[in-house]
Amino acid sequence: MSWFTQTIKSSLGKKYIMSLTGLMLGGFLLVHAAGNSSIFFGRAAFLSYAGHLHGLGFLLHAAELLLLAIFLVHILTGTILFLGNLGARSSRYAVHNSAGGRSWGSATMPYTGMVIFCFILIHLFNFHFTDHSRTIADIVAEVLARPFYTFIYIVGLSGLGLHVSHGFWSMFQSLGISHPKYDRVIRACAWLVCGLITAVFILIVLLLLVNSNILV
Amino acid sequence: MAAKIISLNLKVWRQNGPDKKGALENYRLENISIDMSFLEMIDVLNEKLTVEGKEPVAFDHDCREGICGMCGAVVDGIAHGPEKETTLCQLHMRHFQDGQTLTIEPFRAKAFPVIKDLVVDRSSLDIIIQAGGFISVNTGSAPDANGIPVPQHKAEQAMDAAACIGCGACVAACPNAAAMLFVSAKISQLALLPQGAPEREKRALSMVQAMDKEGFGNCTNERECEAVCPKGISIRNIARLNREFLRASLLSDEQG
Amino acid sequence: MQLDAKIPEGPLSEKWDRRRFENRLVNPANKRKYEILVVGTGLAGASAAATLGELGYNVKAFCIQDSPRRAHSIAAQGGINAAKNYQNDGDSIFRLFYDTIKGGDFRSREANVYRLAQVSNNIIDQCVAQGVPFAREYGGTLANRSFGGAQVSRTFYARGQTGQQLLFGAYSAMMRQVAAGKVTLFPRREMMDLVVIDGKAKGIVCRNLVTGRLERYCGNAVVLATGGYGNTYFLSTNAMASNVTAAWRAYKRGAGFANPSFVQIHPTCIPVHGDYQSKLTLMSESLRNDGRVWVPKNSGETRDPVDIPEEDRDYYLERKYPSFGNLVPRDVASRNAKEVCDQGRGVGETGLAVYLDFRDAITRDGHDVIMRKYGNLFHMYEKITAQDPSCRPMMIYPAVHYTMGGLWVDYNLMSTVPGLFVLGEANFSDHGANRLGASALMQGLADGYFVLPYTICDYLAETGYNMHDTNHDAYTVAEEHVVQHIDALMKNRAAGKKGLQTVDDLHRRLGRILWDHCGMARNRDGLARALALIPELRQEFWDRVTVPGSGQELNQALERAGRVADFMEFAEIMVQDALAREESCGCHLREESQTEEHEALRDDANYAHVAVFEYKGEGKEAALHKEPLVFENVTPTQRSYK
Ligand SMILES: Cc1cc2nc3c(=O)[nH]c(=O)nc-3n(C[C@H](O)[C@H](O)[C@H](O)COP(=O)(O)OP(=O)(O)OC[C@H]3O[C@@H](n4cnc5c(N)ncnc54)[C@H](O)[C@@H]3O)c2cc1C
Ligand code: FES
Repeated sequence: MSWFTQTIKSSLGKKYIMSLTGLMLGGFLLVHAAGNSSIFFGRAAFLSYAGHLHGLGFLLHAAELLLLAIFLVHILTGTILFLGNLGARSSRYAVHNSAGGRSWGSATMPYTGMVIFCFILIHLFNFHFTDHSRTIADIVAEVLARPFYTFIYIVGLSGLGLHVSHGFWSMFQSLGISHPKYDRVIRACAWLVCGLITAVFILIVLLLLVNSNILV
Repeated sequence: MAAKIISLNLKVWRQNGPDKKGALENYRLENISIDMSFLEMIDVLNEKLTVEGKEPVAFDHDCREGICGMCGAVVDGIAHGPEKETTLCQLHMRHFQDGQTLTIEPFRAKAFPVIKDLVVDRSSLDIIIQAGGFISVNTGSAPDANGIPVPQHKAEQAMDAAACIGCGACVAACPNAAAMLFVSAKISQLALLPQGAPEREKRALSMVQAMDKEGFGNCTNERECEAVCPKGISIRNIARLNREFLRASLLSDEQG
Repeated sequence: MQLDAKIPEGPLSEKWDRRRFENRLVNPANKRKYEILVVGTGLAGASAAATLGELGYNVKAFCIQDSPRRAHSIAAQGGINAAKNYQNDGDSIFRLFYDTIKGGDFRSREANVYRLAQVSNNIIDQCVAQGVPFAREYGGTLANRSFGGAQVSRTFYARGQTGQQLLFGAYSAMMRQVAAGKVTLFPRREMMDLVVIDGKAKGIVCRNLVTGRLERYCGNAVVLATGGYGNTYFLSTNAMASNVTAAWRAYKRGAGFANPSFVQIHPTCIPVHGDYQSKLTLMSESLRNDGRVWVPKNSGETRDPVDIPEEDRDYYLERKYPSFGNLVPRDVASRNAKEVCDQGRGVGETGLAVYLDFRDAITRDGHDVIMRKYGNLFHMYEKITAQDPSCRPMMIYPAVHYTMGGLWVDYNLMSTVPGLFVLGEANFSDHGANRLGASALMQGLADGYFVLPYTICDYLAETGYNMHDTNHDAYTVAEEHVVQHIDALMKNRAAGKKGLQTVDDLHRRLGRILWDHCGMARNRDGLARALALIPELRQEFWDRVTVPGSGQELNQALERAGRVADFMEFAEIMVQDALAREESCGCHLREESQTEEHEALRDDANYAHVAVFEYKGEGKEAALHKEPLVFENVTPTQRSYK
């Protein structure tokens, strides 16, 4: 076995994959959040952002494909880990309890992962695989004016927040980045990134619910 | 102050062999002095069962001072019970209420098959150590002890990691039944000391490989291991293991 | 029984060199043809198994616990001695030798103890190279402390877990040999008998503690490193599985048992709380550096200790031993605690405890300084007793701790059965009548790493590598013997007898007899009484013991019953030995042999010997042999701590 396959087949190798793909997905989320915050500045700003993005042409498609690949690797590896971990404890405890290590985020990682997956499918059907004869601003305004979608989006985004709340710190830990000197900075960053992404997206959703005119 | 004597309702896992089906059985114990240790409480139960002509509960134990790592069970869902940094043998009954119901189960993991009742087979931990948890120095070939200076804080950190008693509570408590805290403690001890340097990479590769082969789960950084560890071993050691393995995988010429 | 100690000729410092030179060697290519059985994987056993494996022998290693890493050695706290003289305070091999032989009250062999001091330095080198995280100075060199009343700082330590760290070193060296295929591990096995063929130790019969099956193993030599027998007393600081079984079965196959009555009673243990108590916990001796030991002046004192004024306290050690005060040796401290409690001045619920008070130390040095020194011990005490020693005095009482006696061995660590070697606490060799702190770890590792691997070679070279296989009659006979023994233990319950008693109940009673009559202070009448009581209790044991379950499975009650059955027999030679030794020495005060000031009085004219017991058959009295002790390099002196 080559060193590479040996590494990625090992339990730690899979964690590195989760961390690195997680890092990239997190980076995407930041960019995505930054881009989408153009919504706060009204229709023109948002359309200009979208226009610039589409102006990238081939590059955008390549980036989309790359993102898809990263995403699939993250899900696949996550699923392998999840199933492996289920198998590592053949008989269950009659009484479950936590000694205080787990957080909500860590305890729900696979489940929030699934929520996010479903959410992304919906999100893509809403905005990507849809009739693009109208402007993206109109599509967004229409979808997110509906309380049903507000609800779906808030659930999905909360799942995302919870996922990232553990994922961000966990990524550093898995890559071996831990030291008393900068532990607190990492923790702070973790909360900041997680809070920022979730807050921006949720604010957009709420804004469009109460005032979809902003995009008109 | 609580009464000096309490009574308890116990639900104890009874299983007559590795392939047998197990179940929780109920027992009532009266007159338990709160000065007893948890294991002495089980002794009382066993004396009672023996006198009644029943089979006593099998459980592992030896030093009864929290150092050998032989004892261990899950009490109400927590490995070694509710007290922080305390093995089961050092857990005293004064931490329980009169009339309380306690569920006592063995450490559960695929890599720790139950032998009988609360006794499990932890030889997988020895197998991991065999893969590289040592420094290859034959008897007689050591240089003078002071010939290898070790900075005091490094020696202290190595000692923090070396304090692991190999009880397996980390595995029992881990939602994924991973053995990372155990493995990382040994890797850390030897990685922190200059004596461990020559085999550092090989050690990381082969110990992780052995760990995976024994059927332990994958760490997802849940921190439950650290929370139950009777010796307070930090998950910072796990980060160090992650680092060591990454470094060895990417940079070394060694094959695991 | 021939007791030839086989001490090499020549000056003391050259004896070991000489022996190493005289020894025959086994050709390196032939080593792999030899099979060695090592029973016990504590410091002594694990270090021996690892080293023999490194040398190329095939080793089978057996232990009771589920992993060799859990042997009782793990509990040692204080440290390990070596004559490194790193502190430049005047230590030397000769000084370590002298302190150890004097500490043993001149009841050990000069040559053995000198060799121990010689190899002590190699042990530290070896352990450091293995990655044992000893305490260090800021500059990165090794730190030392003075321990157990020594005048020099020669004790190396790894926090309060020295035994653990040394054991992990030896264990990991052994695991390396397991991976290399030279050592095969047999955990959860209990040795039940020794197989002797043509007068030589050739194999063992074990019980597989998981399946209950009896298993036979053969080898060219058998090494016992099965630890001490302190648990004969039921309550001791030893681990629960510590036993005399392996040594006792070897005794019954012809190995002499030396000084069985030499038992060390440690002064600072947490007192007994109640009948249910299963073991005693040691509080490090170092506490006496700052704690003051006292009891109330008057018996019948009912006040809380913190309310007892200075004038009503008796700091009896400081009063009686002004120059050593609270730092008198273990035996003196223990004996005096017993004495004040016998006078009715003991404290606590049972009246069997004395105070160890840190009030003055805290006033003098401040709470922080004291906590830095003893914080972990205070914490441990509080965990067990729920009382904080920084607010109220600790309560302590002596407890059985270590056994100096053990199977007799010659200078080569071979017992009176050729091919049976005995290491560590299981042998009697180096501590005389009293072991100094931090020297048991040293001895275990010396035996395993540096002595046995040389001396066993000589025997192996002489006898060759041909082996009988386990179908030999001797194995069948031994195994049948074990089967009968187990059946006898289970028969009462099977027969549905009434009025049966549990193993622990009977063991507790044995412990009581020994503690009362063969403890810190002994006298002829008490010992004679014990000698009458023990056979009665033993009979009762066989008539009334109840062992549930079957022999064909994991059965912890059966394991304990087997061990207690051996304690019941062994206790008798222990008391016989104590009775025959009409002197006070080391740990033991023989009440008939005291100075006018009630201090221990040794009798070198009559008792400068090792007492060795030989098994003469079931129901027959053991024969007592004597190995005279000759002192050419030191002059026995009377210990005085006034
Ligand atoms: C609380 C405490 C603190 C101590 N502190 C110190 C200290 O600070 N410094 C110091 O020098 N000494 C100290 N000692 C003493 C020292 O720890 C022991 O004397 C020493 O470790 C004994 O080592 P050993 O290898 O001979 O035997 P052990 O470590 O007792 O090992 C015995 C081995 O034999 C096996 N065994 C036993 N019977 C059988 C059988 N029938 N069949 C198969 N296997 C068997 C066991 O499983 C075990 O592996 C302390 C002792 C105690 C109790
Ligand atoms: S019995 Fe040794 S740690 Fe609990």
